[in-house]
Amino acid sequence: MIQFEQVSKVYAGGFQALKNVSFSLEAGEMAFLTGHSGAGKSTVLKLISLMERPTTGRVLINGHDLKRIKRNQIAYARRDIGMIFQDHRLLMDRTVFDNVALPLLIEGYSMSEARKRVQAALEKVGLGDKLRHYPMMLSGGEQQRVGIARAVVNKPPLLLADEPTGNLDPKLSAEIIKLFEEFNRVGVSVLIATHDLSLIARMRYRTLTLKEGRMIDDGLAEESA
Amino acid sequence: MSVLFRARQQGAQQVKISAWRRFVTFWLHHAQQCIGSLGELARYPFASLMTMAVLGLSLTLPATLYVIVKNTDSVGANFQQASEITVFLRQDLNQQQVSTFAKRIELNEAVAQTRLIDKATALAEFRERSGFGEALETLDSNPLPDVLLVTPQEEHRSPAAAEALLQELKQQREVDEARLDVGWLQRFQAIVQLVRDGFLGLALLLCIAVVLIVGNTIRLNISSKRDEIMVMKLVGATDAYIQRPFLYTGLWYGIVGGVITWLATAALLWWLSGAVRDIADLYDSQFRLTGLNLAEMGVIWALAIGLGLLGSHIAVRKHVRAIEPQ
Repeated sequence: MIQFEQVSKVYAGGFQALKNVSFSLEAGEMAFLTGHSGAGKSTVLKLISLMERPTTGRVLINGHDLKRIKRNQIAYARRDIGMIFQDHRLLMDRTVFDNVALPLLIEGYSMSEARKRVQAALEKVGLGDKLRHYPMMLSGGEQQRVGIARAVVNKPPLLLADEPTGNLDPKLSAEIIKLFEEFNRVGVSVLIATHDLSLIARMRYRTLTLKEGRMIDDGLAEESA
Repeated sequence: MSVLFRARQQGAQQVKISAWRRFVTFWLHHAQQCIGSLGELARYPFASLMTMAVLGLSLTLPATLYVIVKNTDSVGANFQQASEITVFLRQDLNQQQVSTFAKRIELNEAVAQTRLIDKATALAEFRERSGFGEALETLDSNPLPDVLLVTPQEEHRSPAAAEALLQELKQQREVDEARLDVGWLQRFQAIVQLVRDGFLGLALLLCIAVVLIVGNTIRLNISSKRDEIMVMKLVGATDAYIQRPFLYTGLWYGIVGGVITWLATAALLWWLSGAVRDIADLYDSQFRLTGLNLAEMGVIWALAIGLGLLGSHIAVRKHVRAIEPQ
C-alpha cells in the first residue's frame, strides 16, 4: 500500500527531516509511527499526502510513484487518503454536517446521497445526533470524532492520522483507536503517528520508530522474533 | 477519477449518476456557489457596498466623459450641417448664365443642394437690414455679386472633402471667389479629437485602477479564508473548485458596480442638465444633453462585470495557488 524507498527530505532551511528512510505498509495493515517530536513523523505523513515532495528517493502508494502525480492531480490523489489531525482542522463556522459533507460535495455527490453518507459516517463515530451542532459546541473528543467522520466519509482505502489522541485523556484515546480498528477490520489501511507510547504499548500492532530522521525500527524484526 | 487506486470507483461514478445528472449537478453547484458568494457579501454589507461603490464610481467618470464627448459630437454635427460654400459669381454674367451655372453645380455629385441669392434680392435684403437704405439709393449700379450657397453631400462635409469641392468650384469660369471657413471646422474637430483621446486615456487608467482594487479586495478575502482553503485542499478540492466562489464575488462586484455606475451617471447628468439648458437657451439653441441609451448601458454593465471578473481572476490565480496545507 505505502512504500518508501531510500527517502530523504531536506527542508528549504537546510534541516534534514528524513535520512534514507525505507519501509512498506501492506494493504489492510494497521501500524503506528512513533518517535520524539522532530523525529520526522509528520514529514512521513506529509510525503504520503503530497503536502511535501521527497528530496531523494521514491514514495509509492498502491504501486504509483508519487513523483509522477502532477500538481493538478494532487487534489484527486488526496481523495483516496483520509487524513486526521491533532487539531481536527474543522471549519468552525460550519455545522458538523457541513464539515463532514465537504469531501463529498467537492467530489460532486448529490445532496441526498451526501446526506445519507454523512449520517452513516456520524453514526459510526457515535455523533449521529449532532448533525446541526457547530464544532464549538462539542467537546475535544467529539471534535476529533467529527474529523474522523470527515476522513472516512468517502471511504478511502488509506487513513493517515497525525497525533489523533494528542489532546485527549486515556479513555477517550482508547475510544478513538477502537474506531481506527473498526475501519481497519473492513480493509482500510491505517497509519497512525503518535508519541503516546503508553497507547501503543497496550496495542499489539506493528510500530515503526523514527529517531532524528532515521528509521531505527520498522516493527518487522520484532514480529518475526 | 481515482489517481492512486484505478479500480476504486469514486464519487459520482460510485453512486451511478448519469451524465445528464452530473451535468445538472455541475450547474447546480455553480448556482449554489454563485448564490453562496452573494450571501457571503451580504454578511458584510457595508464592506461589500464600499467595494462595489468604488468600482461603480470609478466607472462613472469615464461614462460621464463618454456622454459629454457624444454630445459634443452631436453639437459638432450640427455645426457641420451648416458648412456651406459661399460662391461669389462674376459681375458680368447675365441672369441666364447664372441660372445655368446654378443648375450645373446642382448636378455635381458632391453637392446636396444649392441656393441662389441673386444680386437684386441681396441688395433689397441689405437695404432692409443694414440701415444704409438711403446711402444705397445714391449708387448707380448694384455692387453686390450673385451668390450661390452650396451645401455639400453628407460624405463630402469633412474639412478635407469640402476643401476639395471648394477648389473645384473656384476653377469654374463663372466664379469670382469662393469661401469656406475650413480652418474653423478643422480646429473644432482637432479639439474634439484631443478631448476624446484624453478621455480615452483617463478611462483606461480608471479601468486598470478598478481591476487592481477588486483584485486587492479579493486577495484580502482569500487570505481571511486561508484556513478554510487549506482544509478544502486537504480533503481533495481542486484549485478551480476553491476559486469559484471568489470569481463569483468578483462577478457580483461587477453586477452591482455597473448599476451604481448607471445611477451615478444619470444623477450627474441630471445635475449638469440645468446648466446646459441655460447655456443653450442663451444661444437660442434647442440643444439638450442626451444620456446613456440602452445599448450603452449594456456596454457599461458588461465592462463593469468584465473588470470585476478580471480583478478576481488575477487575485485567485496568484493567491489560491499559493496556499498549500502545512
